Amino acid sequence: MKHDSLERLLGLPGPDPGCEAGFAQLEHYCDAVRRGEPVERRFPDLVRHIRNCAACREDTEGLLAALEKLEE
Amino acid sequence: MPRAGLDLESTTWVGELAADSPARDAAAARLHTLLLRVTRAESARRKTTIPARGHDELDDLCVQAANDALLGILRKLPEFRGDARFTTWACKFAIYEISTRLRRHAWRQRQVTTDESIWETLPDSAPPALAVLQGRETLARLQRAVREELTDRQRQVFQAAVLEEVPIDVLAERMNSTRGAIYKILHDARTKLRRALGRGEPQEERP
Repeated sequence: MKHDSLERLLGLPGPDPGCEAGFAQLEHYCDAVRRGEPVERRFPDLVRHIRNCAACREDTEGLLAALEKLEE
Repeated sequence: MPRAGLDLESTTWVGELAADSPARDAAAARLHTLLLRVTRAESARRKTTIPARGHDELDDLCVQAANDALLGILRKLPEFRGDARFTTWACKFAIYEISTRLRRHAWRQRQVTTDESIWETLPDSAPPALAVLQGRETLARLQRAVREELTDRQRQVFQAAVLEEVPIDVLAERMNSTRGAIYKILHDARTKLRRALGRGEPQEERP
């Protein structure tokens, strides 16, 4: 079984703040992404949550797309 | 109170939206316009995920989402610390509101299977998440672990969220729960399954 397949089914092990705590950090994460900062180092737990949680991943992608659109 | 050094645009928003500001109504109207632009853009971006029969209602959902986001932002404004840009902070509420509505709208007329019948579709018509499993042996180990290691609630959530790919906020609505609570159940189920399948935890986890 490939690693990404296992990750999709079983999630990534390690600290995961969950949806509510993740939402509280989301604007900091997205601003950091847009500044080109190393978010995997600055927000390792949130990055893990975004990979584990399809809804939060979709919301994060939506926020980044919205911010990009607002700058057009 | 927002920190010193806040960017000019954020400072202006926070000052004008303050409860005692004479510019509050005008600023709230401007912010609503911005939020509606965000919810409509997100709805358009994800339109293909919504069945065609639900397209007529999308703009209503965008307006509702922008309205609720504005109320939330005005209520939480005293909590805005200014560590991020105001527009980023505000837009996350709009995205949350429209995103939840879009997922629920997409699943509105779809049945959610929370029992074991989903395993019976295998292997000929496996759902996408299970199609990645190579070989009946791995699948059998996973199914056995789901049956033997998980509580009823964990089994229901894992099968629906991971195997059937039901969004967790849709599950929360159907199971009279919250998104955070459903995610916690899923997280605990996955932790048990990783252990059962010999993929240990590197460190202690929380929720």
